[in-house]
Amino acid sequence: MPMLTQLKLFHGILRTDILLKTLGIILIGSAIGLTYNALSPGGIALKGNWSPKINSDSLVVPYGYEEGIDPPAVNLDYAMMKFQSKNTVFLDSRYPEDFKVGHIEGAINLPYEEFEEHAPLVLPKLPKDEEIITYCDGTECETSLVLARELLELGYKDVKVFFGGWQEWQKAGLSVETDN
Amino acid sequence: MTILKALIRIVTDKRVVLLFRLVLGVTFIYASLDKIAHPEQFARIVYNYKILPQFLINIFAVTLPWVEFIAGLFLILGIFTESASLLVCFLFIIFIIATSINLFQGVDLNCGCFSTDPVGKKEGANLLIKDFIFLYLGIMVIFFNKNFATLSALFQKKSLPKR
Repeated sequence: MPMLTQLKLFHGILRTDILLKTLGIILIGSAIGLTYNALSPGGIALKGNWSPKINSDSLVVPYGYEEGIDPPAVNLDYAMMKFQSKNTVFLDSRYPEDFKVGHIEGAINLPYEEFEEHAPLVLPKLPKDEEIITYCDGTECETSLVLARELLELGYKDVKVFFGGWQEWQKAGLSVETDN
Repeated sequence: MTILKALIRIVTDKRVVLLFRLVLGVTFIYASLDKIAHPEQFARIVYNYKILPQFLINIFAVTLPWVEFIAGLFLILGIFTESASLLVCFLFIIFIIATSINLFQGVDLNCGCFSTDPVGKKEGANLLIKDFIFLYLGIMVIFFNKNFATLSALFQKKSLPKR
């Protein structure tokens, strides 16, 4: 008996009028959405390109990166050179658990996700005129960029972003360390 | 066995199902507002999921939040209740599939559920659990709403001939 009731219920839900009304809600919502987008000042183009792009130095940068306004992007060679000169601070903006698994040797973890928590421990030790290079996983992540923007706003004068990040550094077989 | 029966009676009670309906409705409206306000950030999140082809990303990002909003509104008011909850269940199934694909691929993504912060909290499994709970609520509303406290019921009553 209960099985029969369930079957009836299931049959009841697949009625054409219910399905048509469902489609109706989708159509009404979509129509309002498209109209609102066309009229709203914050509306976006209906066809967008969200893939990482190439900047004027032939570097792969995230879609949202604005050249000239955002902190400069640096390539692997530059990061490597600065790493060897030892007077640049590398800030890793990934989660602590990813940082622990492996990071650029000597880098400091300042996860953007937990900025409020970690910033008071990290930032007081960083002089405002020190060169800072931020990085995250690779070109698909943006926390290195948002962290760098945040640092600029806080008054840090020399902030750069290494978009190749952990992926590129690791692939190049450069010095890494793990925290256990 | 009696405990199970009592439990079934409680979760299929029309007042409890009304509560489920309201929770779903409010959740959907709340979830849609931030996406409506920040279409660009939401489109980026859709892109991060790497499921839709490029040309559909922005169209999806401007339409989905309003579909959610209308579905949420209809659930709260009780207009086309079965259809609205069926749509909600369908959306949760899509969210569950999309989240699972990315979870198993190990992609660090923002769920874009309640906020469009481009670097929101790493949710993963918690998000899936939440989606399944909401899916359950939606299924209960489809089958057991009994047209209780809905605007449709109000109109139906009014249109009945007086004795």
